[in-house]
Amino acid sequence: MKYAFYPGCVARGGTPELLVSANAVMDRLGIEREEIVSAACTGAGVLQERNQKLGDALNVRTFALAERMGVPIMTICSTCQGVMSQANRRVLRDPEYLAEINEVLAEEGLEYKGTTVIKHLLWVLVEEIGIEELQKTFTKELSGLNFAPFYGCYIVRPSDALGFDEHPERETSLETLIEATGAVAVENSGKTKCCGLPILLINQSNAIQMVSNHTGEAKDMGADAMVTPCPLCHLNLDGYQPKAAKRRPSGKIDLPILHLPQMLGLAMGMQPKELGLQRHIISTKDVVAKAAAAPMAVS
Amino acid sequence: MYQHDVLIIGAGLAGLRASVEAARMGVDAAVISKVHPIRSHSNAAQGGINAPMTDRGDDWEGHALDTIKGSDYLADQDAVELMSREAGDAIIELEHMGVIFSRNEDGQLGTRRFGGQKIARTFYVGAITGSAMLQALYEQAVKLDVNVYEEWFVSNLIIEDGVCHGVMAMNIHTGELHMIRAKAVIMATGGAGRVFEPSTNALICTGEGLGLAYRAGVPLMDMEMIQYHPTTLAGSGILLSEAARGEGAYLLNSDGERFMKTYAPDYLELASRDVVSRSEQTEINEGRGIDGNIHLDLRHLGRTFIEERLGYLQEVALEFVGIDLAESPIPIRPGMHYIMGGIKTDVNGATVVPGLYAAGETANVSVHGGNRLGANSLLDTVVFGRRSAIAAAEYARSAERHSSDEAMLSAEQQRYQALLDRPADLRAGAIRRDMGESMVAGVGVYRDQESIDSAAARIKELRAVYPRVAVDNKGKVFNTDLMSAIELDYMLDVAQAVCAGADARKESRGAHFRTDMPNRDDENWLKHTLVYKDGDGSRVETSDVTITNWTPVERVY
Amino acid sequence: MEQTLRVKRYDPENPESEGYQEYTVDVAETTTILDALLTVREDVDGTLSMRCSCRASICGSCAMRVNGQAKLVCKTRVNSVSPNGETVTIDPLGNLPVIKDLVVEFKPFWDKMKVVKPYLQPEGVVPVAEYLASDGDMAHLVGVVNCIQCGACVSDCTVLEVDPSFLGPAALAKAYRFVKDPRDGHQKDRLGALNESSGVWDCTRCMQCVEVCPKDVDPMGRIMLMRDMAMESGFNNTSGSRHTDSFAKSVKKNGRLDEAKLAIDSMGMFNVPAMLDSAPVGIRAMMKGKFPWKAHKSSEPEKVKRVFEKIEGE
Repeated sequence: MKYAFYPGCVARGGTPELLVSANAVMDRLGIEREEIVSAACTGAGVLQERNQKLGDALNVRTFALAERMGVPIMTICSTCQGVMSQANRRVLRDPEYLAEINEVLAEEGLEYKGTTVIKHLLWVLVEEIGIEELQKTFTKELSGLNFAPFYGCYIVRPSDALGFDEHPERETSLETLIEATGAVAVENSGKTKCCGLPILLINQSNAIQMVSNHTGEAKDMGADAMVTPCPLCHLNLDGYQPKAAKRRPSGKIDLPILHLPQMLGLAMGMQPKELGLQRHIISTKDVVAKAAAAPMAVS
Repeated sequence: MYQHDVLIIGAGLAGLRASVEAARMGVDAAVISKVHPIRSHSNAAQGGINAPMTDRGDDWEGHALDTIKGSDYLADQDAVELMSREAGDAIIELEHMGVIFSRNEDGQLGTRRFGGQKIARTFYVGAITGSAMLQALYEQAVKLDVNVYEEWFVSNLIIEDGVCHGVMAMNIHTGELHMIRAKAVIMATGGAGRVFEPSTNALICTGEGLGLAYRAGVPLMDMEMIQYHPTTLAGSGILLSEAARGEGAYLLNSDGERFMKTYAPDYLELASRDVVSRSEQTEINEGRGIDGNIHLDLRHLGRTFIEERLGYLQEVALEFVGIDLAESPIPIRPGMHYIMGGIKTDVNGATVVPGLYAAGETANVSVHGGNRLGANSLLDTVVFGRRSAIAAAEYARSAERHSSDEAMLSAEQQRYQALLDRPADLRAGAIRRDMGESMVAGVGVYRDQESIDSAAARIKELRAVYPRVAVDNKGKVFNTDLMSAIELDYMLDVAQAVCAGADARKESRGAHFRTDMPNRDDENWLKHTLVYKDGDGSRVETSDVTITNWTPVERVY
Repeated sequence: MEQTLRVKRYDPENPESEGYQEYTVDVAETTTILDALLTVREDVDGTLSMRCSCRASICGSCAMRVNGQAKLVCKTRVNSVSPNGETVTIDPLGNLPVIKDLVVEFKPFWDKMKVVKPYLQPEGVVPVAEYLASDGDMAHLVGVVNCIQCGACVSDCTVLEVDPSFLGPAALAKAYRFVKDPRDGHQKDRLGALNESSGVWDCTRCMQCVEVCPKDVDPMGRIMLMRDMAMESGFNNTSGSRHTDSFAKSVKKNGRLDEAKLAIDSMGMFNVPAMLDSAPVGIRAMMKGKFPWKAHKSSEPEKVKRVFEKIEGE
């Protein structure tokens, strides 16, 4: 099946290791895709607070481009997924509004007919490729490893914009993938809470505290790493972890943050450099070593 | 030492309106409420508030007549006149306070039709008028920095030498009992729906205000007048506003017929509530119900209209019964909703006990007589809430500050202690349910001597075992168990008074319909019933209805 | 059918007894969590303290955490949270001190409401009759006046969890109700106050309040609208407003986000302390090859720009 690939701005910018590892993993799985090179940023909720219609128009343009390609959109960022799902819901509920936006897009010959489906790689793996097929590509069984899931707000709320009614399995999709690798999913209270990135540049203290709370708790619960499908969360949980560590009495956290494709890549037996694991602020050396030492997967 | 010039019990619409008036007058006043003001049951009023706007082609006499006719001529016409005349100003004042009433194309206040009225003079906010009004009044109370004893439970009045000098109340957070002395007390404690089961009323509507006044020697007037609202959900008793019918909804029987044409050929679904409820009950009794219910049909109003003007109704339908009002009719039936009866007051809220006033549903002026028109209760609360505050403040000005007898507080503490000390025996909840079911069965939409006697007997039995009610919770903090036991004490009084009134009135009028005496008897019964506490029972007296301009005639819808 | 409720108990007069207590009651298809709790309170264990009143989702008393998420229990059916009869856990609301069992201290909630001056403040001559207003304006406010102040949003707000000084979704939604009331004469003052710290810019856009609100008030949406209104009113000197402007500029120019520029613009180029404070983070990023030196672009940035021009021109 083919997809219109939408990596999002940060996967190329602040977290280039995400794009690298996502491509490596998708190649291994034989996922055919073509990037929507003309697409704009989703607005990430920031643009929407300034002018919701503007944000919606940019996203509807992306939907129309994908519609023209005749395939669903695949994202690798929780925030992109959430913003797009919300925009899609808004225009599908209000035909007059959609018509207004289509008028704006008419100039470049685009028109959104309302058929585009948007799915994060996380959901594609669970719902379309399936765990069995996925596991066929694993060469390692990551038993003995503990991963703390961290979803990112935009891929879990609001639940009625994200198809949770039709796909209740989405609520635990990250745990499903963690367990598929043979690792244990560490239940942590922060897994669907906010990482703090949206207020990082506005109220750094609160953002840091959120990082400290979530990564600190996961570390205390024995996690070897935290796994997230959102690069924006990654930026904060990884990049600002050194600062966040100072909020703890011990002064330490040292919890590596893995992008979802990196975790899958480790189970597929890929090398750290293939997955960009050397690019993290918080060193991934230990978890990589542990994964390397894990047993071979039983076919 | 807690003391004020005026103490208002209850922070619903009547209580808050009184407090705002007192604050504006610069009176030392406070409000005491067993829940945060926003949680008061006024928030459940949905459809709207009536007012004749004389500058817009309406006239106050028209509203007065509709109200008096709706009351089946039991309302005191001087009181109704006052309410109708003051209504216009009351609405404008509410709007100035910030209530977000709906508007017409000219930007003026918009109206909808309501029961018992041909003219659309009901002002509204979607289907959340009560909540919107309560919020605005609370906002004004915040702005004026009104003193609120929040989550304090009044369990007794301080009555000395026949004069009211304040209350005894428990701080629910600490369990501490205190005397709060006041020169004047305004009882604004709402209704007593929990005496009936089911009821549209909240769990807090336990009528201790009625019970307290009753024990202080104030007569409860026309207690047999219990309003059964035509459109309540089966089982839960949750209310679906009359506004649905005001905006054009139909009532259908099992034949899909708009049966109201038989009972009220002119007003149809918008006849007075007692007429509609009896019509529904007759249809059900004669086998034309749908599983014991009637259908309320809004489909023809269209989804957009329902969501914009009756949003809360759609929410209730979807959440509590899983029905989409735009797609399907909803089963409803008559359910206990309001007590027209209450603490007898004059037009200024004064009772026969000096220092004790009452306003709102808990009072009976009487403006609603034998049946209240929809959207008149919200009007009643603000008009008489304000008037009682003025009267109470005036009285307080010349009343002397009184230092009350601490022995009274000890006695009240012992009452609490007795409940706490009693080993496990009967449970308040079970007795309340028993009482509630008996009352609906005995003093329902239709009643007769046998059913009334049966209810009265059961209430007497429950009263006899009340001293065996014990509580599980022996603690001080947030002891709702203890509160429930004391509330039950007063609820049993209210139930007994309702039965006494129903037994005494030997006719049918308004909501009191006796199948053994189905006719109205103006010659002998154009009177109010007054139930006085007498030992363990009661005695009933009567008083004349005040007639000014409107001669009682046969009531036809 | 039988259902087990696992209820959080706490008694300030006996704090060592804090913990969960299980109760098993009979439930039917339409039984709500409140119905079940009332059965416990009335027939099984009267020591359980909780707030509840109307049973019809209009009084706001009965908000509690059900399986970790704030809900109004009077409108939550047992089988909606426990389709296969699984034990349901009930906790008091979060972010507010617990008084006893399921009862929390609401004073911080009411205090925050008072901060936003939650009453109409008209200016000028009071008309004899009503203030004229359009039905559209009044109807728009119904959405926020639907707020029953239940506390669910405050309970689950992720910012309040780390920073109790944040005004919070309920107070901010209430503030919106007055900012958007055409009869209020203090819109600019209100926006100015909300623009300050702990106000509209401190929301982290996590959508918890939107998710848990039982009345579809959409507090986060209102906060976002007030950010825009604050900027429109000329309050442009917060890092939040600079962040939004910078974001919009870069997307308009390149079709994509220029993260480095965004960070610098938001802090303020001449904001030396903030720049110094963030330097270590920037340096670490550079050393790991994560610093986004060159902003990447859409393949057709001019088309993206056109969308901006057409819509912002409206």
